Amino acid sequence: MKKVEIFLLSALLVLTLTCFSSAQEPEPQEQEQKLFNAVSISPGFGFEYFSRTIGWDDDYTSKLKSLFLTLDAEVELQRGIYVRAVLGFSSSSYEALVFRGRKFPVSVQLPEDYIKGFILGAEVRKKLIHSESLRVDAFGQFYYCYGIKKEWEVPGLAVEGTVEGRPTWMRAPVGLIFTYTGYETFFPYINLNFNKLWGKFNMDEIIQDLTGREEKKISGESSFCISLGFTFKLTESISFKSEASFMPYKEGTDFGIMVKAMYSLD
Amino acid sequence: MEAIMKGKKFIFAVILVPFFLFSCQSSRDSSFNQKNFILVNVANTYSSRGMQYVSDQVLVKFKPSVTEEMREAAIASYQSTTLKRISGIDVYHLQIPEDVSVEEMLYLLEQNPDVEYAEPNYFRRIAQVTPNDQYFVDQYALYNPGGVFGPPSSPQSGTNRADIKAREGWEETWGSDSVIIAILDTGADFNHPDLDDKLFSNGYDFINDDPDPTDDHGHGTIVAGIAAAETNNGEGIAGVAWNCKILPIKIVDNTGWSDVSTEIDGINWAILNGADVINLSLGGPGVSQSEQDAIRAAYNNGVVVVAAAGNDGVATYYPAAYPECMAVAATNSSDERVTFLNTATDPLPWESNYGSEIDVAAPGDWVLSLYPTSLTTPPFLPYTWASGTSLSTPHVAGLAALIRSIKPELSAEDIMDVIRYTADDVNSTNYAGRDDFIGYGRINMERALVPIIISALNLHK
Repeated sequence: MKKVEIFLLSALLVLTLTCFSSAQEPEPQEQEQKLFNAVSISPGFGFEYFSRTIGWDDDYTSKLKSLFLTLDAEVELQRGIYVRAVLGFSSSSYEALVFRGRKFPVSVQLPEDYIKGFILGAEVRKKLIHSESLRVDAFGQFYYCYGIKKEWEVPGLAVEGTVEGRPTWMRAPVGLIFTYTGYETFFPYINLNFNKLWGKFNMDEIIQDLTGREEKKISGESSFCISLGFTFKLTESISFKSEASFMPYKEGTDFGIMVKAMYSLD
Repeated sequence: MEAIMKGKKFIFAVILVPFFLFSCQSSRDSSFNQKNFILVNVANTYSSRGMQYVSDQVLVKFKPSVTEEMREAAIASYQSTTLKRISGIDVYHLQIPEDVSVEEMLYLLEQNPDVEYAEPNYFRRIAQVTPNDQYFVDQYALYNPGGVFGPPSSPQSGTNRADIKAREGWEETWGSDSVIIAILDTGADFNHPDLDDKLFSNGYDFINDDPDPTDDHGHGTIVAGIAAAETNNGEGIAGVAWNCKILPIKIVDNTGWSDVSTEIDGINWAILNGADVINLSLGGPGVSQSEQDAIRAAYNNGVVVVAAAGNDGVATYYPAAYPECMAVAATNSSDERVTFLNTATDPLPWESNYGSEIDVAAPGDWVLSLYPTSLTTPPFLPYTWASGTSLSTPHVAGLAALIRSIKPELSAEDIMDVIRYTADDVNSTNYAGRDDFIGYGRINMERALVPIIISALNLHK
C-alpha cells in the first residue's frame, strides 16, 4: 500500500477516533433530531457518475469516467457521529490510454472501453456545529475501486496477441458539509472538500513467447471539489439525496453527479 | 529542380555478385523530381468522398441561456439525434436526417436564435512525417505510392503501399543518437554528404588492421545508407533510423570477400564498442561453430544481429540461419518475394534464399541508396540502385535500432520478436502464417513502433 493511501486511511481513523472521543450533548432542534440525531441504521442504495481528468506518470492526460451503483449502510454510532460502509459495482473508462513503456514490447492504445470493477468504501462524518438553521459536518471518505481484469486482442499481428488490463483507483475526499436545516423536509447543502484520486493501471501483454508488463500510475488533475446537493425526506423513514460536484483544475472543470435513496431503521 | 538535375547522371555500376556479398546492384540514368512536403491522407473516406466533412453530421452549440428542454426540443424539431455532447465546450454532435444535406441543416440551424453556432463535422487528418530528402520519392521501400520505380533500364511496377510503413513509424520515433548500428561490411564513405554526420566513430578496418574503414568497394556504404543515411537534410535519401548512429567495421575486402575469422573480429569489436544492432549483409553456405558462438555472444549482450538470407534461391545462408540471428529475405516493390522469375529481365537474375530459418522480409529489389563519393566520377551522383537481401537486411537493422531507441529495456530476443510478430503476412494468399519464404512477413514499422489500438477479444477465434 502506498504512502498516500496509508496517510489517508490514517486520517480517516484519526477522524473516527476524534468523533468518538468528543460525543456531544443532545441537540436543540427537534426537527434535527428526527433527521440526524437518533442513533440509527440507514441502509440505502445509490448511483454515481463522475468524469475526472487524470494525469498519467508519463505526463499524458485522459478522462476517467466512472459509473457506479452502490449499496450502503450508514450507522449513527453516537449522536452526531456517522459511519457509512459502501459496497458497489463500477464501470470505468480510461479513454485512449497508451502503453508504450520502455519494456513493453508492442505499444498499444486502449480504446474507449468500460472496465467493470468493485467498489469498497467507507465514510466517517461528525457534526461540528449546529445552529437553528445551519449544520456543519466534517467528513472523510475513502473509495477503493478494484477493476476486474479485462482482455483485449492486439489486432493485425502475424500471430495472435492479447493484452490484459486491470485498473484500480482510490478516491479520498476530506472536507466540510454546510447544510441548511431551516426547512422541514428539504435540506440543501454545500460540500467543500479536498478530493484526491489516484491509482494505477496494469497492462500485461502476451504475444506468443513475447511478454511484457507496464504499470501506469494515475492521479486526478483536480484536488478540490465543490458539491451542491440536497437531502429530501419523503417520509419519516425514506429520504433521497442528490448531489452535483464540480472539480476545477487548471484547464477546465470536471464534474460528477450522485443520487441516493436511504431508509432509516430508527 | 528538374532542370538542375538534368544532365546529371547516376553512376552506372553493375557490381558482380560475388560469393560472399549478396547485392546485385546497378544504377541507371535517372532524373528525380523533388516534391514538396506532402500530407498523406489516411482517412479513406476523405479522399473517396471528395468531401471535407462528415456527410450526415453537424456540430451545434446553443446559447448558454437556452435550457436543456429547449435544446432537446430544438434537436428533435430538426429530426436529428444527439450522437454525443462534447464536454468542456458543451457542443452537440448531431446526426442529421438522411434526406437533408449538411449545408441545408446548417442554414436551418443558423436561422435559430437559440443557436450560438453550427458547423460541419470536418475531417481532420494526421500530418505524417515525410522527410525532405531529394530522392525520398524513389525510395519505394519506405513509402510506396504505386507507380514505376527503379532505374530506367529496369523499371519496376510498384503496388500502392507495398512498403515498410516508414512514414507512419517515424510518427512515433526517429531514433536515438545513442543507439548504434554496426555495419560489418566493406567500410563506409566518411565523406559522403548523406552519411558523414551519422558515423558514431571511425570504426575499424579488420582487413588492413587499421582504424580507417574507408569503403573501397561500395557495398558497405550502400548498406549503411539504407539503415541510417542522414535524413530530412534536404538532399539524397532517407535512412530508416534517422537519428541512430553508424559504426562502420570493415571486414570485407574490396573484392567483396571475407572469412569467418575476420567476421568474428568485427562482431567482438562491435560488442565492445557499444553496438546495439549488428548488420551482416553477407553470408555463405557453410555452418561455423565459432561464428555462431560469436553471434550468440552478441545476442547475450543484448545486441540484435540481423543477417541477409542470401540471393541464390537455395537454403538460407549462415550466419542468417543461426537462431540468435534474424534472417532477412527480400521482397520487391509489389510485396512479392524476389525470385528468379520476377528478376528474369535483370542483368543478373537472383532469388531470395529460403528455409525455416527465415524470420522476416524487407524490400531488396532495386533499392536506392548511397554510393561512395570516391568511387563516383562526375557527372554521376554518389547514389545507386542496388538489389539483394543485402539491401533488405539494413531495413530490418534500422527498425531494430528504432525499437531499441524507444524500448531500451527490451532484450535482443524481444526486439527480434517484435519485428517478427508485427510483420505483414504479404504472401498469406498462398502461405498463410509464417512460411519458409518470407518468414512472418514483410516488416511493418508502423505496427512495430506506433501504439496499436486494441480491440475487444474475439471469442469465436
